[in-house]
Amino acid sequence: MEPLNLAVIVKLEPDFSEGNVSYKPDGTLNRNETKSTLGPHSGIAAKAAFYAKVRYGAKISVCSMGPPWADIALQQAQQTCDADVLHLYSDRIFAGADTLATAETLKTGIEKMEGKMDIVFSGHRASDGETGQTGPQTAWKLGFTFIGNVISYDVNLEKRTVVAKCLLTLNGVPNVIEEIEAPLPVFLTIDPSYKSNFTTVSQRIAFEKYQKEAYERARNFKQSLKVFNIDELGVDKTLVGLAGSPTIVYQVERIPKGKATRQAEVFDGSNSEHIRKVVAKMREALSAMVIK
Amino acid sequence: MEKYDVAIIGGGSAGLAALKQLSTLGKQAVLLEAGKKVGVKNISGGILYSKKPNKGRVYNVEDIYGQNFVNEAPLQRKITKYLLHATSKDKVFSMDLTAAHEYQSNFGYSVLMNELNAWFAQSADESAQKCGGGIVPGVHVNNISWDDEKERTIIQTDELDEFQVKAVIAADGVNSEVAQITRARPKFSAVQLYQGVKAIVKLPEDIINETFAIGADDGEAHLFAGDITLNHLGGGFLYTNRDTLSVGAVYHFDSLLDSPIEPNTLLDALLKNPMITELIKDEVPVRGKIDKTLEKEKQMQIRFAVTKLIKTWYEIRDVYLSSSRRKELIKTGKFNSEDEIKSKLSETREKMSSQYGIQFKTDYVEDEYGAKLIPDGKRCRMKKPYHKNVLFVGDAAGRGVFVGPRIEGLNVGIDDGVRAANAIARALEKNNFSQGYLGEYYTKSIEESPYTKDMKEIDKEYLKIFIDATKDVPKDILSAKHSLVLKLMSSGAIRSMAAKFVNVLGYERLLPVIESQESYVKVPTELAERSGKTISSSYTPSIPLLADRIAKLNYNDDKVSHIKVLNPNNDFMKKLVMLCPTKCYSEENGQVTIQHEGCIECGTCSEQTDWKHPRGEKGINYRYG
Repeated sequence: MEPLNLAVIVKLEPDFSEGNVSYKPDGTLNRNETKSTLGPHSGIAAKAAFYAKVRYGAKISVCSMGPPWADIALQQAQQTCDADVLHLYSDRIFAGADTLATAETLKTGIEKMEGKMDIVFSGHRASDGETGQTGPQTAWKLGFTFIGNVISYDVNLEKRTVVAKCLLTLNGVPNVIEEIEAPLPVFLTIDPSYKSNFTTVSQRIAFEKYQKEAYERARNFKQSLKVFNIDELGVDKTLVGLAGSPTIVYQVERIPKGKATRQAEVFDGSNSEHIRKVVAKMREALSAMVIK
Repeated sequence: MEKYDVAIIGGGSAGLAALKQLSTLGKQAVLLEAGKKVGVKNISGGILYSKKPNKGRVYNVEDIYGQNFVNEAPLQRKITKYLLHATSKDKVFSMDLTAAHEYQSNFGYSVLMNELNAWFAQSADESAQKCGGGIVPGVHVNNISWDDEKERTIIQTDELDEFQVKAVIAADGVNSEVAQITRARPKFSAVQLYQGVKAIVKLPEDIINETFAIGADDGEAHLFAGDITLNHLGGGFLYTNRDTLSVGAVYHFDSLLDSPIEPNTLLDALLKNPMITELIKDEVPVRGKIDKTLEKEKQMQIRFAVTKLIKTWYEIRDVYLSSSRRKELIKTGKFNSEDEIKSKLSETREKMSSQYGIQFKTDYVEDEYGAKLIPDGKRCRMKKPYHKNVLFVGDAAGRGVFVGPRIEGLNVGIDDGVRAANAIARALEKNNFSQGYLGEYYTKSIEESPYTKDMKEIDKEYLKIFIDATKDVPKDILSAKHSLVLKLMSSGAIRSMAAKFVNVLGYERLLPVIESQESYVKVPTELAERSGKTISSSYTPSIPLLADRIAKLNYNDDKVSHIKVLNPNNDFMKKLVMLCPTKCYSEENGQVTIQHEGCIECGTCSEQTDWKHPRGEKGINYRYG
């Protein structure tokens, strides 16, 4: 049986976690002061790929388009999925790319990877641009069957198919889980609610083994890293970067802040009169909760 | 259903030794550990010994993990001095028991279980994977069943699909659920147990060296008896680790049931003893008062800045006051020289006091509170440590050597682990897992262990060393009975005869005489009063409240309680309100109820509750252990 060959596309994004993110006084992101990290949805995509590593011993390549320092996103992804190969497509010409131009770069990269890809994974969306098109567009350019909102999947190695469960959320209708079986190769975008489930001892032993390997590999991630400039990648210059981007952003509007509906009272913990008031309020709330 | 040769339940030092040994013998074994990582549920005193008995052999850590063990494993300090102190208020009478500590020993190192077990696990896991096995953390075994027709043993867990094995090693500790599932033994009763509580005290490496006047790699063990017992049967200990101290109180559980007292009170009594206060003494920053008239946001900013500054100060200070870490950070280029670290430290200190009004006072710092039940091997070792194809090791089998100041559990469990592994490897070769071929063989091997002998009989050589150490004790302190025994034992020829006589009579009958109010409380207190040195304390330690100790612990909460109260109004349960080390029990209108959230899984309540370990990954996560 042919071993599975997987690719994951990931993105370097601002780290929105507390202590790492910084905003300008007008409320917009201060990119210079904000640290960068592997996008949270990219992380979930890597986690989904790791499932195939544990279950099927798949070979995993992770790629990203970004500045030279985006290698840390690849490193973090490697630690999550025990990637064998890391590709970074980095060139000034790639700058200013919209999702379509990014898809072109990634598609070219994936096609350049060793062996034919069976499954390509991407995150659900980017957390900085809130775009979710790069994945589907890359799938379209690759000509792979596209399955979105995947919450779990398995591969039938004999039939060379994937069986994926997808979460469908429609307004006013209860959530639906759709099961799709598709022949390889496929492109999966992973839903944020994705969970890997390892239910047997052998799977858990493999999980521990690959996790340890991932940690070791990520520590020396430069050994698996290959950086491509535009010439090395061999992509058509008119289809990538700003030149290849049909999207024009002509204005960005601030999202208005929602009005607070909660009414808060401020109490001083060192003031005993205040404490008495708090206790009285709690007592009142509790007595209202007691079912008589 | 998946099939494996051996399942080991529990990733403590005994289970891990079994895994390592089986793998070294080329046998396939999987170890299931309930904690998220191996080591997070383990706690010990603790000293790890390597022994060389005159008769028979034991399996030591270096036999299992390699002769380079001492250099590779994360050990704390080599215990080079071993002292017993009798206390009464500010008076302490000390006896040097180093000779007893070194008796038939290769070494004794102070250890912290979290990191040591993680190290054991890494080594054992690597070997196990080569044989198709390995360690699976985060899994709680809830049942073992036998299908005699198909000759199958099936392991069921809360987390994974059931699987099949040929043999099982139960290494799930003093509160062994496997023992209950198999009904191999009843739950241990109070008279068979000790309850231990421990605090990890933070103290920089160089200060430890200075306070104890020891070299960078040397360590000391101190035992305490006397008024610090608050009239209970037991005592205290203090062991030096690299940059922490383990301070703990261990008491006969039946003595605590007789007159219930909060375990943390016993620990506090120890910490308040002037000798210990002086040993744990450090310099501690105290936050200045924040100006309440400032804007709320400004106050918050100051609070955060102070927290960060204190953290930085501790970090630099820990480096500055540790010769090894100083060298390491200079080598890695983080600092250029020792002077640079020193000036960085004083710079931070200056900023703390000048900008934020932080002051420094003499006090001590506690980092972790923990508790554990300890099975007294003399009273509760399983005579037949097996059931069908399940072999019990270490605490699960009720094994440990506790004779006077001789306190050994880890090395006993490790020896058991190897013996169980050897027995199973032999059974695998013949594919014979019958009780006669496996269980009886293992029992025989365990009975041959010198440790078992020490659980059964008084070792007259050891007794001599102990008596020699007490030569300065005025004999008239002792009761007529005790002084007669001592007199008899002091003479070589009579000692041999007397020891023989005692062993014929049965060691167990003598225990109530040895382990009595007289030996733990009365004699040491009087001894300290009459012949002790006065030690004055230079400060009053701010001992944390139990609530603060619990707040510092790290839990992965489970909504469902792993403990169920069976009889909410019986006497035992009412005493638990006092005896639970984290106060999980409370009594209202004569009914005892549990709040399991603060439970540290010691098992103090297990005898009369429906007690299970939490599900995989849930519950307490010790940082030191």
